[in-house]
Amino acid sequence: MRSEPDGRSEPDGPGERFRWLRTKCRRLFRRRKEEAALNAELQFHLDHLIAHYRDEGMSEREARFAAQREFGAATAAYREEIRDTWRPPQLADLWRSLRFAVRSLARSPGFTVLAIITLGFGIGGNTMMFSAFNTLVLKPLPYADSARLDRIDRVTPQNPEGLISPADFLDLQREMNGYGEIAAYAPWDATLSEPGQPAEMASAIRTTANLFSTLRIQPQLGRDFRPGEDRPGNDRVVLISQLCWQKRFGASTDVIGRTIRVDGEPHEIVGVLPAILNDWRHLGWIDLFRPLALDQQKSADRHSTILRLIGRRSEKISRAEADGFIANFGARLATDFPEVNAASTWRTVPLNDTVQGATGHSMMMMLIGLSGFVLLIACSNLANLLLARTMARAREFAVRSALGASRMQLLRPLIVESLLLALAGGACAILVAQWGADYLSMRSTGDNGESVALDFDWHVFSWAFGASLITALAFGLAPALFALRLNLNDTLKSGGRGATGGRGHRRFRQVLIVGQFAVAMVLLSGAALFIRGLDELNHRRAGWQSEHLVTGTVVLPAAVYSDADRITAFHRLTVERLESLPSVASASISSVTPFFNWPDSRKYLVEGRELPKAGYEPAAVVNAITPRYFETVGTRVLAGRTFSDRDTEKTPKVFIINQAMATGLFAYENPIGRRLAQAGSPNLEWGEIVGVAADVKSVLPDPGPVTFQLYQPMAQEPRPYNEIAVRTAGVAPSTVVDRIREVMTGLDPDLPVRKLQPADATVERANYQVAVLRDILTSFALLGLGLASLGIYGVIARTMAQRTSEFAIRFALGACIRDITRIVLTSGVKLALIGSALGLFGALGVSRLLAFGYPGMQLNSPPVLIGTTLLLIAVALVACWLPARRAAHINPIEALRAE
Amino acid sequence: MDKVRNELLQGTLDLLILKALSIDSLHGWDISKRIAIVSNDRLSLKQGSLYPALHRLEGRGWIDAEWGVSDAGRSAKFYRITRKGRKELETEKEHWLSFASAVESVLKMKELS
Repeated sequence: MRSEPDGRSEPDGPGERFRWLRTKCRRLFRRRKEEAALNAELQFHLDHLIAHYRDEGMSEREARFAAQREFGAATAAYREEIRDTWRPPQLADLWRSLRFAVRSLARSPGFTVLAIITLGFGIGGNTMMFSAFNTLVLKPLPYADSARLDRIDRVTPQNPEGLISPADFLDLQREMNGYGEIAAYAPWDATLSEPGQPAEMASAIRTTANLFSTLRIQPQLGRDFRPGEDRPGNDRVVLISQLCWQKRFGASTDVIGRTIRVDGEPHEIVGVLPAILNDWRHLGWIDLFRPLALDQQKSADRHSTILRLIGRRSEKISRAEADGFIANFGARLATDFPEVNAASTWRTVPLNDTVQGATGHSMMMMLIGLSGFVLLIACSNLANLLLARTMARAREFAVRSALGASRMQLLRPLIVESLLLALAGGACAILVAQWGADYLSMRSTGDNGESVALDFDWHVFSWAFGASLITALAFGLAPALFALRLNLNDTLKSGGRGATGGRGHRRFRQVLIVGQFAVAMVLLSGAALFIRGLDELNHRRAGWQSEHLVTGTVVLPAAVYSDADRITAFHRLTVERLESLPSVASASISSVTPFFNWPDSRKYLVEGRELPKAGYEPAAVVNAITPRYFETVGTRVLAGRTFSDRDTEKTPKVFIINQAMATGLFAYENPIGRRLAQAGSPNLEWGEIVGVAADVKSVLPDPGPVTFQLYQPMAQEPRPYNEIAVRTAGVAPSTVVDRIREVMTGLDPDLPVRKLQPADATVERANYQVAVLRDILTSFALLGLGLASLGIYGVIARTMAQRTSEFAIRFALGACIRDITRIVLTSGVKLALIGSALGLFGALGVSRLLAFGYPGMQLNSPPVLIGTTLLLIAVALVACWLPARRAAHINPIEALRAE
Repeated sequence: MDKVRNELLQGTLDLLILKALSIDSLHGWDISKRIAIVSNDRLSLKQGSLYPALHRLEGRGWIDAEWGVSDAGRSAKFYRITRKGRKELETEKEHWLSFASAVESVLKMKELS
């Protein structure tokens, strides 16, 4: 025997490493070849063994038999051992644990399905909310380099997001050297009419020619506005949105160059904008874009704040510098034109941040939090299920641990099982979330078809699986740790009875149930409060009456209704014709509806009072109305008279003010007969206050306090933007809608009436986003309630099953059914009660949070809280009643014999 | 002398295989035969028990395998030691020898009076 090997036969350093790696790879990936090689190797050994026995003198048959006996039977085990060496050791263990876990889950399909569905809904709801948050809050607007886009606001005491007057905008444009680009637009509803087609109202804006280049958007067809086209006379061109192109023009490509009639004047379609502009978050609701052609008079107007400004900062300046520049400009305006700008400051807001207001953001966070609550309930259900399962296997664990299994070996299958459940639950959750998100974007589609698609990108997927993993680890490990703390001796000694679970984990499960009920209480009461609040909102008719009322909007195009006389004539005729309809009690036209916020705010001076500092005059929102307006919408006139047909442009000006304005300006004096004038004009036109009307409050969720409201006769300042109101005489408002439309078409076939419907429907539609929120909260609450009742049922049923022999003995000693039922019911209801009581605190917190987001909603209602508590307890009673019935029907003899 | 079928102590099989391969590259059958012969049949391995060990050692990179032709002209899987394996053999041998001598000196301990 050579004592020293020759170095030649040994593989060398790097080559050796390489070969070694190759071996590993081969073993992992070329399994079949490896198997074949192993077979050959073992066969080789067997053949040698047979030959060896033959050499020792056995016959061929004996040798074969002996070799088989010696080698054959054992090889199966060796083979498995060899295969194990092929896999990296951790992988081998993992593989074994995985197979074990799958088998053990498959053995109890009921538990597995329940666990996966529980997790799926819990994580699904959460993931859905996250996907909404991801799309609406985290994602920037779909404009190139959108971080450099800012909205420029004029902050006034009335409005933190105030608009800007044309003259101010033109000044800014002249001075903005170095800022970048600034575009301005103004909402400007337009009438679209084409020969042979019914006239239609289109939501439109007028914009400077550079809006799309500022946003970095190219039309998908045709061209953008040309630089000179936003000058008067040059402006007969329009761009249309993708949605409008599809709806009205059937997406035909020859639409470019076609002439359409906008507000009665021919315009040429020069381009179709891309689909990304239909993003719900920004300009999605616009059908039609026209150039902002400011005439001489408008260009000098500093009073009508109508323009929304969007700026793109140049790359050379920072946001702070840009904001400073804008703030400076605003300050300069305040000193140069104090009568309009004294109380206003200017600032910039990143356009991406304007998508969700502060309240929207906090609502989102709250919803994610609430969906987290649902997840929490789902998780504690899972923990309960797992715990019960682990307890049922306590003997198995005890035996294994007695045989020397290490802590890790005991834990691993449990962990792998919960990981598997989590992954399956996560996959299920993505389906649930997808479905929920589809529903959400369907429900949140706006009136003009603008919608938001909730994207499922990798953020969302990683959220879903991250949530599942954390869930699985946190809630799968807790029962496992309990299993480890089991006392070996006790468990083995407790014999066939199975583990009733020691004091510790009974406490643990009770805590879980209490927690579930507390969380369910928060969810349910939050949802109930919100539903009630929304209901109240939809039925709030402060200062007006909605039943038997139909409303609709008509905008008179300036081309046809060019002067005040024509507009007034139209108003007269319309009201006359509408009131002559059968079953119509009265009709009116006003510049705003009573139910939403009134946008037109003006400043007034009181006759005989000292002039306030310029810019600090009292402001009131204005509504121009035809004579029977108050009668029609149901606003009470508290003092004085209403307007009549005798109040015309030729008679002295008259006003009616609301109660807030009357007490605010005149306190205890009689306002009737006092005179007001609009501030700002050089020669003041005084008008007399002839009446006081009740305060009218908006039905929107964030109406703000009731401000000063002022009415003036429509005839004294005819407006082209008209809200028609018709009160029926006792018949359902929907029955007269068609007849109203006929009347309007008869008056002017080119004039579309928008949103002609019962006022109640308009109000409900206006609050649809709040309604979506209600739906989400309701589904969370129901999900939470369902899961919590499932949880309490499971725990009580299991406890009852474990106490069967106790009950049997009680029966044998003379207890009656009622006693046993009572024991079972109280044990469950006690937990529910404690949980609900704890949940009340959380419920109060949630209602506070909701009230913060929706200050206009009535979100505090003790009856609702009491009702929710009762509901929860009722659910707990029902969930415990089933096990109680079963316990009450124990046959003591059978139960005890079964021991 | 009785043919004692010594149960191998845990871990010694690896050492024996490495030692056998440090001299020559062998296939499985030869390794078991070599060990039996050299130990005068005092150490005989259970048929097939060394294959898991061989695969494990190969996985660790201590030995290396290659298909070749046996003396009888059949194709067989030959194992040979690698440099890493040789190092391992040295350290394990040290361990074993020092362990054995320690056990031996305890066993030969004279009664202290």
